[in-house]
Amino acid sequence: MSSENDLSNLLPRLDFAWITTLHIVYPPLTIGLAVILFYAEWRWMRTNDEKWYRLCRFFERLFIVNFGAGVATGVTMEMAFGILYGRFSQAAGPFFGQVLGYETITAFMYEAGFLGLMVFGWGKIGKRMHLFATFNVALASCLSVFWILDANSWMQSPNGVVFRNGYFQVTNWVAAILNPNFFTAFPHMLIACFELSVCFVAAVSAWYLLKQRHVELFQRALKYSVGALLVIAPVQIYLGDAVGQDVGKLQPASLAAMEGHYHTTLPDGQSNTGWHILAWPNSGGDGNAWAITIPHALSVIETHTWNAPVTGLDDIPAQDRPPVAIPFYSFRVMAGIGGFLLLVALWGTWLAATGRLSVRSVASNKWFLRAVVLSGFLPYIAVWTGWWTREIGRQPWLVYGMMRTSEGVSHMSVFEGVFWLLGFVVFELAVLTGSFYYLCVIVKRGPDLTRPLPGEEHEPTEVEAEALLRRTATPAAPQLV
Amino acid sequence: MDILTQTQQYLAFAWWLALCLSVLIYVALDGADLGAGIFSLFVRDEDERGAIMSAMAGTWDANETWLMVAGGILFGTFPFIYGSTFSYLLVPLALALWGIMSRAIALEFRHLADGRHKAVADLAFGLGSLVTTFFGAMAIGAVLQGFALTNTPGEVPTYVGGAFSFITPFSIWVGVASVVAVLMGGLLFVRARFEHGEAIRVQAARWTNPLFFLALAAVSITLIWTGTIFPWAHARWFGSSTWIFGLLLIATLFCVFKSRRASQKDHDLAAVLWFDATAVVMGVALMATMYPWIVPNTWTIYSGASPSISLVTFTLTMGGFIPVIIAYNVYQIWVFRDRVSKFAAYSHH
Repeated sequence: MSSENDLSNLLPRLDFAWITTLHIVYPPLTIGLAVILFYAEWRWMRTNDEKWYRLCRFFERLFIVNFGAGVATGVTMEMAFGILYGRFSQAAGPFFGQVLGYETITAFMYEAGFLGLMVFGWGKIGKRMHLFATFNVALASCLSVFWILDANSWMQSPNGVVFRNGYFQVTNWVAAILNPNFFTAFPHMLIACFELSVCFVAAVSAWYLLKQRHVELFQRALKYSVGALLVIAPVQIYLGDAVGQDVGKLQPASLAAMEGHYHTTLPDGQSNTGWHILAWPNSGGDGNAWAITIPHALSVIETHTWNAPVTGLDDIPAQDRPPVAIPFYSFRVMAGIGGFLLLVALWGTWLAATGRLSVRSVASNKWFLRAVVLSGFLPYIAVWTGWWTREIGRQPWLVYGMMRTSEGVSHMSVFEGVFWLLGFVVFELAVLTGSFYYLCVIVKRGPDLTRPLPGEEHEPTEVEAEALLRRTATPAAPQLV
Repeated sequence: MDILTQTQQYLAFAWWLALCLSVLIYVALDGADLGAGIFSLFVRDEDERGAIMSAMAGTWDANETWLMVAGGILFGTFPFIYGSTFSYLLVPLALALWGIMSRAIALEFRHLADGRHKAVADLAFGLGSLVTTFFGAMAIGAVLQGFALTNTPGEVPTYVGGAFSFITPFSIWVGVASVVAVLMGGLLFVRARFEHGEAIRVQAARWTNPLFFLALAAVSITLIWTGTIFPWAHARWFGSSTWIFGLLLIATLFCVFKSRRASQKDHDLAAVLWFDATAVVMGVALMATMYPWIVPNTWTIYSGASPSISLVTFTLTMGGFIPVIIAYNVYQIWVFRDRVSKFAAYSHH
């Protein structure tokens, strides 16, 4: 079908890809950091150690900026399905819309309600009530991963529905919600959120340690983050492998595109088991122009055997093949980052085991700290490339095997597509630069170590807090900007 | 597409009530925030503008979640309407979304900004509020006009009518009238949230009088225009149930009168509540006028509802979550009920 690459298809895809890519920047940190904040607040309640409280309040300020950006870009997401993918929304709405509706109500509203209490409630509500609010923010944000990934995994492996009279009628809710792809996609994304957030906390801490500021406070944050990453990074690699297996079973075309795997069998009749480290598709789109290949590695990676065949693109009808270049490279970038983060965790663990992450000596590991700062950015790229792999690998299908992208997009003029894209390029970039800039401002200002603890003295009122902020902020202002 | 069972028809009706309730709550709560935002365009003192933002700091995002709930119900329960109407409204919704984004950025970041950035944030906040109100209301005006659907056997009817059919004199007017009415609500909100004697409260009080008459005129013109050009409205208002609409009109006028009296006596909270009551009564009147249409002459509650709605999903949502959400919304407003003064300029601690 030639219409797959028409402007009328590409524009809505590009419009949606842009707002989604610029939205997924924020929720993973909201989700993972909420859990981390809960942990820190709980440790503070248990140990009465002030450092936990200071860390909690400091990272909470970063959390707020990030959450605000997530809301600012998230309202658009809810409307955009109907605007850009109107026919898909109509057809899939009975399942897909319902699931997103649950996300709104059981996760987003739930979270926003308790978030107000968490952020503004310090000193106004009791400590236990506050911890309860933080707990609910963390739980609600994890629930939102559940629903979003459920809706998306259903598009990857639609189950429990029949397509009749132009729409998907749900025949089995349990089968639809617990669709096959969900069981690997949900944990992979949830752990991605934790991994990203742990790396974020580690990177901010490493920056302070490099600058020799608040060393005692952030040595603790770094130490705990490295410990958490040592567990999370290998789990994520294991889950990533499980997703790969799953894609091979459910969507062989997507897997073949991710691996640039054009031929199931070689001309000599043997299974084509070579895994391409790097490759580039030829102009005819029926093979690689060049490739660096390891024999047998593909079968080992995808089937965990030495010689088993892996379906190549030549076994997929031409009109059902996804593009190759983007899934191929974005998959490799994501997997490479996953491996790099494991190495960083192992490096940190080795330093800790040899006593070099102690308060006294942590700041001298300059190269390690620089690597950790870099690791704060990498998971964002991994999340992007992972999603690009997943969404482009599913093409030309919107609902795999049941509804094509060309059947789901709204009837849009080129004007509408470009109008949307230009506007959102401006506004999404404003949110992105704004939030990054103010995250930097907060980090440069550093944690507030003087405010009395809740319960010990009275929490300053807004007026006092503002006065305090002005007094302390004014002399520091030149260095902030 | 009348394909619902009897039970599903009742459920669709109940979901429609929930949808209208969410929209009404959103209008009542966030309308005040939007109005205060528009008002901030006319406030000269930078700290006072900041104080307006700080007055809604604890609640604005919770208010906005009602818009999200309305969107969620529309997508989940009325997907046929959601998918076609939103593609009809691409242009005004994109503009309203950009307004919402600017407002959100300004509210989130202003307290961190300094000097020049503060002025930019204030402008983004004020203009964002104005644009959101105008184009959001214009979209509603366009919905009242309805739109043409495709008619292909075996496919769900959808919209293919182009980018600009939403622009009519009526939809533009609804945008203008709503800006005036929302600004009125914003003035009452500012009066209720600031200490007596604050300059900003004095300014809002001075504006209340002319705005009251402007808003009254704007809403009256909208009603007359609606009754004139829409046969479905005319037939309902002057048909067999005229007395119901007569009563609703009397109730509306009573609420307007009470709100006016309360604001004259500086009973600020009462003025806000009576103003909200006016909006709710008029909203109910609009529901009664439009029933069973959700988009007049285009989609009814029953033709637009998902054939997969069930008692289980409805009960889980309505019985399990909505009451909890309402409970902590109330708790939250209670925790943050204190009046603010100008010096508590926007601060996120």
